[in-house]
Amino acid sequence: MAETATLTDSRRFFFLYDSSKVQEEVDLTRDGIYYFSPEDTPIDQQELLCGQLAGVCRCVSELSSSPVRLLHLRKSKYAVRMKDKFLWALSCVVDIPDVSVCDLLDQLIALFCFYNGPVRQSYQLYSKQELALRWARYLCHLQGGSTELHHIFSCLRTIDSTHIDPLLLLKAALILQACQRCPLVLAGCILYRGRVVSTQMPPALTVKVMVYETQTYSQDFQVTANGLSSLVGSPFSSTATTQVFLMPTELHMLRCPPVDRACRSHCNQPPCQPSRSRLLSRTLSDTPTTDTDSSSLDPTHCPPPSYKTVPSSPRSSLSDELCFSPSPSRVNTPIHSNLMNQSEYFTPDSHVHSTSNGTNLCAVEEHLAGLNIKQDIDANSGSETKSNGLNSDQDIQSEEIKAPANGYEQSNCLDNHSDLDSQIKSEENKLDANNHVTNKNGNGETEEEAKTKSKQINRKLKEKNEPTNTPSPHETLEDTSLVPLVLYQHRVKGLVLALLVEPEFITDHSAREEVHHSSLASLNGLEAHLRNTSPGTPGPPGPYTFAHYDCIQNTLTTNVCGRSVGPQDQAFVKATKLVHSHFSRLDTLQEAIVRNASSAVYGTRTTAQETYFLQQGTPVRNSGSPDPQDSAFSLPRKARLRLLKHGVNLL
Amino acid sequence: MKCLLLANESAEVLFYWTDTEFEQRVQEQYGVSQEEGERLPAFEDSINTLFAPIIISCSTMVDRLGDNYTSFSTENNHIYVLHQFEECLYIAVNGDGDETEEDLKRKIFVMKKLTEIMFGMVTFSGALLRKELRPQDTEQRNRLWKKLRSLLETYSRLRENDQSFLVEAVERLIHPTLCEQCIEFLERRLVQQINSNMDRMGEEVLHAFILVHTKLLAFYSSRNASNLYSSDLLALIILVQDLYPSKINLDETSEMAEDSLQTLEAPTPDPSAPSRVFLESKECPMPHSMYCLPLWPGITLVLLTKIPNSHVATSVCYFLEAFVKLEKRLCEGHEGAAAMRGQPSVQEQRSRLEKLIKTWAGMDIQVSGQQNFKNKAFSRSGSGFTSDLLPSCRNMKTQLCGVYRQFFAAECMGSSQRLAPHLQERALSMVQEKLMDWKDFLLVKSKRNITMEFPGLIHFIYVDRSNGQMIAPSLNVTDRTVSELGKGPLADFIKKKVWSLVATAQRYLQKGYATVTLRDGDYFYCYFLWFENETGYKLEVIDIPSSPDDGAPVGMLTCDYYRKLLRYYSKKHQNEVVKCYELFTVHLGVIPNEYILQHCSQLARKLWEPTRIPLL
Repeated sequence: MAETATLTDSRRFFFLYDSSKVQEEVDLTRDGIYYFSPEDTPIDQQELLCGQLAGVCRCVSELSSSPVRLLHLRKSKYAVRMKDKFLWALSCVVDIPDVSVCDLLDQLIALFCFYNGPVRQSYQLYSKQELALRWARYLCHLQGGSTELHHIFSCLRTIDSTHIDPLLLLKAALILQACQRCPLVLAGCILYRGRVVSTQMPPALTVKVMVYETQTYSQDFQVTANGLSSLVGSPFSSTATTQVFLMPTELHMLRCPPVDRACRSHCNQPPCQPSRSRLLSRTLSDTPTTDTDSSSLDPTHCPPPSYKTVPSSPRSSLSDELCFSPSPSRVNTPIHSNLMNQSEYFTPDSHVHSTSNGTNLCAVEEHLAGLNIKQDIDANSGSETKSNGLNSDQDIQSEEIKAPANGYEQSNCLDNHSDLDSQIKSEENKLDANNHVTNKNGNGETEEEAKTKSKQINRKLKEKNEPTNTPSPHETLEDTSLVPLVLYQHRVKGLVLALLVEPEFITDHSAREEVHHSSLASLNGLEAHLRNTSPGTPGPPGPYTFAHYDCIQNTLTTNVCGRSVGPQDQAFVKATKLVHSHFSRLDTLQEAIVRNASSAVYGTRTTAQETYFLQQGTPVRNSGSPDPQDSAFSLPRKARLRLLKHGVNLL
Repeated sequence: MKCLLLANESAEVLFYWTDTEFEQRVQEQYGVSQEEGERLPAFEDSINTLFAPIIISCSTMVDRLGDNYTSFSTENNHIYVLHQFEECLYIAVNGDGDETEEDLKRKIFVMKKLTEIMFGMVTFSGALLRKELRPQDTEQRNRLWKKLRSLLETYSRLRENDQSFLVEAVERLIHPTLCEQCIEFLERRLVQQINSNMDRMGEEVLHAFILVHTKLLAFYSSRNASNLYSSDLLALIILVQDLYPSKINLDETSEMAEDSLQTLEAPTPDPSAPSRVFLESKECPMPHSMYCLPLWPGITLVLLTKIPNSHVATSVCYFLEAFVKLEKRLCEGHEGAAAMRGQPSVQEQRSRLEKLIKTWAGMDIQVSGQQNFKNKAFSRSGSGFTSDLLPSCRNMKTQLCGVYRQFFAAECMGSSQRLAPHLQERALSMVQEKLMDWKDFLLVKSKRNITMEFPGLIHFIYVDRSNGQMIAPSLNVTDRTVSELGKGPLADFIKKKVWSLVATAQRYLQKGYATVTLRDGDYFYCYFLWFENETGYKLEVIDIPSSPDDGAPVGMLTCDYYRKLLRYYSKKHQNEVVKCYELFTVHLGVIPNEYILQHCSQLARKLWEPTRIPLL
């Protein structure tokens, strides 16, 4: 009786269940369970939950001829998605708004598809265990390390812009714009320590791109799954490319943005045309001033677009990097030494794979050593750019990059680790089969071999696909219409430049060089500035609590601290949940004041934002009867005044 | 697309109601899956089959996870709400967007309330309720289900159109002089005359009231009568409206009735036969007879009488409660004397029970299993008060419910038990005579009860939760006559807004918020709940506990939320009588907030006066 009574209330469950695996009486429920979180849940309880929920969902969806979206229980609630015999369910406590938990589940599924492509296909290519690690990571990314308010709004985590020189944000934006001049670059974002500094992508895409970053810097998450935790915080600079999958609508938005991007002057220029003029570094370092204070940069005085960059003198902030001695023998290290990128292990198209069991730590460390050097080179090349101008920059670039036959690079520093290599090889073959791209591997395996293997896998895949390939009545999230694209990441210590680029970018050697080199110096500079920006002691918390949600950028500004939540904050969060839920249900609702004996909360929204405000302090004694003198009704005025200094304009 | 069904734990459907759309959908689904030439299964069987997996999963979830479903929703916005009352599972479905999750939950609770009104304590026993709701005899079952469906439809119609069923408070006709005259007439002339007449067949009129449509003109309770709760009064108005529907939506109603009735037409009911109703009292649901005497279309006189033997209900209830307590303590693992703690001495109870059973035997009512219980509980060889006693304890409960059922359940009542028809006729003509000159006025008044002039004020509802009464301008948009708001799309729009305002306010109240203001489109909405003492002094606001999502809906018709709220508040103000008021307002959004709040404050003050009119 109620053996798992405590289980359902406090724990959050997530599972993926394939009902096509459980159709006959003899079929075991566990065969249908593809992933279940928390993974330490006893299997009989997993079966119980999956079996019951899947059964009920099926029954209801048949009755209503529509998939189930939400299941409420007395002590918990489940957001549900049903597609092609798959059922995803994500639970949360009952007081989280429906809209929030549904959003979270959709984000989770979208995240999986972004990195792995269609779900059914992923499970044909990879083992459940492999994919379980990925689900766990995505779950952690979406759920971990943020405040309850972040969960309510499912928003992006951004750097605290109030403590940052606005010019740095401008600089970040300029770096992104500069990268976009390469026609193969669709859009990008810059992250610092797991938080967004600047992004050109819609929020739904930004959140996907952020997965590994957020996790690395999330306070309460320790990377243990793959033994790579030792990498966290190591200083390095590197680039990586990863295949990702976009929904056609997302891609359309990127390729045809609503606003004409005047800066993309090269739209008509055929790609893969290396030319001098493609060096685009043109941001903070372009300014003709030698003043190291970035605040002197006046955006209106930016020089007109010019492909001749005028390097400024080395910035003092770069001196850290300069004190690493570059090793000339390692100049040949390709730009893609991406082992340090944790994402590699989880993404099908990464080119180097770390190990899953953490036993190859020594190998990892060696790579790390290499990476440090790599970073030195980056820093060095950045400074060389500055001192020697364009030509020398290009020289280094050409030296640095070995043009790979198929656009896939392999880190040379892996050469000596044959055990790791073979592992990587086999994995790569699997992974590449997914993308139907062969991998040129410098370590013995010929292209031909790889091709044969991938063909075999393709055939296998085809066979597997046929019986289940019945057309689905529903348009699917994980539709096969997902379009492969490439995610390019350039890391400089805690700073990451992430760009969504056309697949040809991988093969377009010169485009890559250009993007890399044009942004490198600026990234180094930006990183140094951000690093040296003290988080700033948050000023004395005002006599009020507020949260400001930007629906367009999907960001949240609030003075509610994540951890220490006082009673007033709790009251605030509780009211915010209710009012947010109300806003989400009723489009025409513009503002609300809700009041109980101890607190009054004002919520207001426009199409672009939602703002919540609570005035702290003991409320004046009141009866709750209609009274024009009631202090609760002065909240809108107070909110307008108080929030101005937080950059929130409610006028 | 709507459906409501009741099932027991063995997935047997005890009652169902569907609209045509839902029925068609189910038949289509079965039509597709049927082999050619095969006949469609009976609709009831299809319903049973379709819902069985859900019902079975519910019990599995309760047994194994200690949790249960409360609702499902689908991508095309179909909503399923589930609620388990003891052994009975209620499922309500909506697929046409007319009802929210909250509406469906309320419907379930209302259905539960209606079964309590009709079957009283029988609802305490799953087995007996099954017998009651699902009689073996098909014709009898069809008759009962038809009645229940019709009640449910009447409730839905009222909930959709009548503000007093929106806020679940009784609306009174505001005419103090006439009201007072009527009360006096009911007391001095009518009730006195009936209660002193020999032909009343042992019955005694306890309450008498006059309804104009759903509005209350006058209400009188005799001195011996216990309090009639607002929840019961509202449920009785549903019963009256079911018998004599107001003309407002008559066309729709008859259409709806036809839709859902595939069964045989019931024989014309005996016009002078009362309805058996079970009303809440301090002790237990007490059986009463209800006489609905239509004075004119739209105006009804209702008499509630105490029936002979009703005292049996009290003693059955007394023992039932004792057994329930015992069972609970045994379940919790208490044994021996501890199991009986908090109850009068065992020996005393034992002798009382024996005496009672002897009396019942004299009335030809057998209680089996009592010997078994006695042997186990009291004899030396028996186990005493241990968990072994549980089965016979449960059996005794069922037996007692059975006794109650035999005495009072409608089907078992001799059809002759009633106030003599001539007495009923006399009562009817007396009141007709009294109100003859007022009749037309009352019918108009019921449509234009109150008007308030405040620039920018669109609508308001004022509720006195202490006596369960409300005041509001009329909003009968479906009526052919013009209400205060006029008619047409604007009135319909405002009506929708008012309905959603009340639902919203209740949702916030459920979470502990007693003041809510909203700016929505071109309108500004306010909701206030506050407490006063008897002299009108406003008492300090308190933190209202927030109730769980699966709790009873906020209202009075079902599990009286406001009665509990008042009890909660009164604990802190033990020396004074506490009153609870609510005000809902809709203003034009262009009016500055200060003025709106001033309006609300003035409105509350003005409306305070009419509620002072004595009812008794």
